[in-house]
Amino acid sequence: METVLSIKGLTKNFGRLCAVNKLNLEVKRGQVFGMLGPNGSGKTTTLGMLMGVTNPTSGEFSWFGETPTHHLRKKIGAVLEHPIFYPYLSGQKNLELNALVKQCDARNIPNVLDLVELTDRRNDKYKTYSLGMKQRLAIASALLNDPTVLILDEPTNGLDPMGIAEIRELIKKIAANGKTIILASHLLDEVQKVCTHFAVLKRGNLIHTGPVNEVGQGEERVEVNAEVENLNEVLRGFSGTATVQRENGFYEVTLRENFHGKDLNRFLFDQGITASHLVTRKKSLEKHFLEILADGK
Amino acid sequence: MLHLLKIDLKKLTSYRTFWVVCGLYFVTLAFTTASGMEFLKWLANKSSEFGASVNINRIPLYHFPDVWQNLTFISGFFKLVLAIMVVISVTNEYTYRTVRQNIIDGLSRWEFLQSKILTNVLLSFMSVAMVFIIGFVTGLIYSPSTSIQYAIQDLEFFPAYLLEVFAFLSYALMIGFLVQRSGLTIIILMLSHMIEAIIKVNLKGWAIELKPIFPMESISNLVPMPFARYAFQEIQDYVSLNSVAIALVWVFLFNYLSYLKLKRSDI
Repeated sequence: METVLSIKGLTKNFGRLCAVNKLNLEVKRGQVFGMLGPNGSGKTTTLGMLMGVTNPTSGEFSWFGETPTHHLRKKIGAVLEHPIFYPYLSGQKNLELNALVKQCDARNIPNVLDLVELTDRRNDKYKTYSLGMKQRLAIASALLNDPTVLILDEPTNGLDPMGIAEIRELIKKIAANGKTIILASHLLDEVQKVCTHFAVLKRGNLIHTGPVNEVGQGEERVEVNAEVENLNEVLRGFSGTATVQRENGFYEVTLRENFHGKDLNRFLFDQGITASHLVTRKKSLEKHFLEILADGK
Repeated sequence: MLHLLKIDLKKLTSYRTFWVVCGLYFVTLAFTTASGMEFLKWLANKSSEFGASVNINRIPLYHFPDVWQNLTFISGFFKLVLAIMVVISVTNEYTYRTVRQNIIDGLSRWEFLQSKILTNVLLSFMSVAMVFIIGFVTGLIYSPSTSIQYAIQDLEFFPAYLLEVFAFLSYALMIGFLVQRSGLTIIILMLSHMIEAIIKVNLKGWAIELKPIFPMESISNLVPMPFARYAFQEIQDYVSLNSVAIALVWVFLFNYLSYLKLKRSDI
């Protein structure tokens, strides 16, 4: 697969504070790449360096295998931190200005406004927009020149649940068109729902990188309930059981490697027990993330 | 190049403050420069109250070629208004953080600066055009002789005035980039002449020789004060190449420092 972004030893110091420390990272074409990390872990600083607004202390990176220039940035749509527009200009005028800066066709403006559902409000001043509309305008502006790479930094920050769902759908829609997306977020759920790959940053250090679907692998957890009194003992009697915990009115069974939910189900059935509740839980990214962060200490 | 100017004009032309400030600038500039005779009449009136009589027709304020130096000199005072507009235009980009977004969107830092410099050039040329038109019209009205031979004399004051305005706008742009806050920048801009005057007064020994190369001094020296000639004093009625050279060096330095600041900082 073609490498879109390659980062080698990228470092940024703010005085004595090391915001990003010798970061190495590769993003391939078509990936939806999530950058995770607590607040202040260096996500925005990294993206700022990639987009030419923060001068790196050392290290290098390349877009599409080329040394970065401002011409290359025109091929990338990016929203860092929060939406930035001229408050006294209308949404339409702001996008026209963006088209001038990116030297792209202004005829695309109605399309992107349509996509983010801002067509009705396009002639209102930006300062009158709600936060969700501002976020959506920012995404519209990032999509204006039909970029091959999209960088979104906390795109759902401060949005209501509906707004979050809208943005998530939008990201999926864009990703379905084969665009590479780099998504920085501290909302793990969000990353798990839309990303294919992810990296975890902590205090400027990269502590994990890999595909999202690997996260669910490894030990399986099964929630069980049945109308039997000694269920706890029965479950402990299963050869695949590692631990049993009572949680939220269910028994949560952590299985040993190579055992699955269906094995437990068959075991219970053989014991003459019919489960009234049996759910296989994959490990969530949140748990995984917390583990990674704990390991990284 | 034109494309960069278009970007900056697009930002400004929908900005109401821009129209208000520029409107005020061009209107006051036009009225002040065109109302010299009214001012002389008022002066004559006042002095006749004290028993002195002034024959205002003896003062060739708007006669070709005097009119050129007179008007370009007076117009020089108004450049502060234009400079404040330039400061607002730069510091807004920092307040709204749009300079950051412009660069993310694909302008280089140098291109961003260029777009601002080009607007300065445009504003300077518009000032020159304005003063030239007013000078030309008033000259036609008040000059006893409107022969082309007199009218085209001393036009060198226009390039000098152009440089004067552009140099000052470059200075405004630079402190805008350095300070990044509009209020503070405007105060510094307005006090610049005074601060420089204080420094110049306290110069001693050989350092006195440095006076002409001070930035504000060199900018004002481009079009020297002409009115003493009506009190039968000797004046400098030409543009000194020395002042032009010094001002050009300052123009370069102002814009280069803006460039360095923009290039080195994290935006």
